[in-house]
Amino acid sequence: MSKVVELDIALGVLDHQLVDSEGKNCGKVDDLEIAGLNGGSPEVVEILVGGNAWRYRGRLGRLAARLGGNAVHVPWSEVAAVTEVVTLKRTAAELRLNRGDERWARLVGKLPGA
Amino acid sequence: MSLKNVLGVALGILSAIGGFVDIGDLVFNTQAGAVFGYQLLWVVVIGVVGIIVYSEMCGRVSAVSKRPVFDLVRERTGFGAGLATLIASSVVNLMTCAAEVGGVAICLQLLSGLPYRALIALAVVGLVVASWVLPFTWIERVFGYLGLCLLVFGVAAIKSHPGWGHVAHGFVPGSHAGGSLMVYGYFVVGLLGAAMTPYEVYFYSSGAVEDRWGLEQLKLNKVTAIIGYSLGGILSFALMIVAGALFLPAGIDPQFLGTPALAAEHVLGQVGLLLALVGILFAVGGAAIETSFSGAYNVSQFFGWRWGKKERPAAASRFTLSWLIIFALALLVVMSGYDPVKLTEYSVIFSVVTLPLTYLPILLIANDRTYMGSKVNGKLANVLGVVYFAIIIAIAVAAIPLMVLTHGGKG
Repeated sequence: MSKVVELDIALGVLDHQLVDSEGKNCGKVDDLEIAGLNGGSPEVVEILVGGNAWRYRGRLGRLAARLGGNAVHVPWSEVAAVTEVVTLKRTAAELRLNRGDERWARLVGKLPGA
Repeated sequence: MSLKNVLGVALGILSAIGGFVDIGDLVFNTQAGAVFGYQLLWVVVIGVVGIIVYSEMCGRVSAVSKRPVFDLVRERTGFGAGLATLIASSVVNLMTCAAEVGGVAICLQLLSGLPYRALIALAVVGLVVASWVLPFTWIERVFGYLGLCLLVFGVAAIKSHPGWGHVAHGFVPGSHAGGSLMVYGYFVVGLLGAAMTPYEVYFYSSGAVEDRWGLEQLKLNKVTAIIGYSLGGILSFALMIVAGALFLPAGIDPQFLGTPALAAEHVLGQVGLLLALVGILFAVGGAAIETSFSGAYNVSQFFGWRWGKKERPAAASRFTLSWLIIFALALLVVMSGYDPVKLTEYSVIFSVVTLPLTYLPILLIANDRTYMGSKVNGKLANVLGVVYFAIIIAIAVAAIPLMVLTHGGKG
């Protein structure tokens, strides 16, 4: 059995770095979807990454959300470990978290030696 | 320590000295010396101790937690305040980068006599190519070692025969003579801001994470911070002493970046001038690269993108684009005719305003056992950390009012 660790999700998960199964950065925990707040046992079900995930993050967040696209939803079951970073079980590409870098990679890739 | 390690540490310290002075130090130390003589030397001491305290803390946090500064800013202050800090620090980074690029172009112009605008473009192209082609260790060496030519100001300071009693007196804070109290306050803020520039901390911590620092680098971190920055601070003293000895009596207002180099020429002739210009060129050029990368580190770390000089540029595509864009914007700013010295004054004063939000998360994390384990701040680091945080808040509040009220130090 694994050790029980107390985790403050506001301080220890929210706004932390997401790292995929290959150790690559793939966004931040921009928001968390929590189910069962009305009765039942509350549970984190999804991590929201990018775009309109910022809309509840203050006034600047609302503005940024409007400029960003749709958030990517990552089920909590994809989380492998929570340390200083949140490590995921699969690759960024499999979880559709690689769109940003992919989009600009084509442009940057044209430069010599890139 | 083996000989190889000692050599490595020595080389690191040398490039830290060469890399300590940037355009902010050049402008503020010379102007302060020209207005107040040696009276503000004590402020440089406070500033140097401040950057030692926070960069040691920051290097230690990076080595232990593997988290660079802007990850921590985001984690501890949240999205909204973090984004505000990001925007403010990006504006400051860009202004600083533009000022440094302008400084490179001015040095090239004084060295070659070619037209300024063409040299701005050449400077940016040169800096982009160097950043693209060279690994950081080489950038650090080339720019850091050639920046050591600035030591000519140390010789110039001695040869300008300052009254050493007056110089010693300047290390004691106290009443001032000449200039108004408000202008004095403005230079206190500016000198502290110039010594504790936030981009150095962003760059240093990101570099430590990229180089995969661990517990075994903690000693190196401490030694480089303490010795490198203290010796670098001597260059700041030298600039102020030279200005105090030569510009103050002659009533020279150093509104041009080349003015300190003329002081070196006055004392040491052509060789002095050449060394001073080459030193300024590389010190300022290295700082231009650091500011553009700091901007890219910050934005990438805030949004959680892939980042790093060691990544393939196309793999960390948004990081790569970020630093290229910062150079391009800096080019535009300098090309549109903003004076690098003015830009420097604004960038240093605005950077002071962003200092609290940069240093608070570092101070918090450095005390957090979940991140730091047994390597949390000791008593000394905490006392100094808190004292400096209070100083930072005071100067952040005073910075803009003082700049407006004194018309940028003009009284």
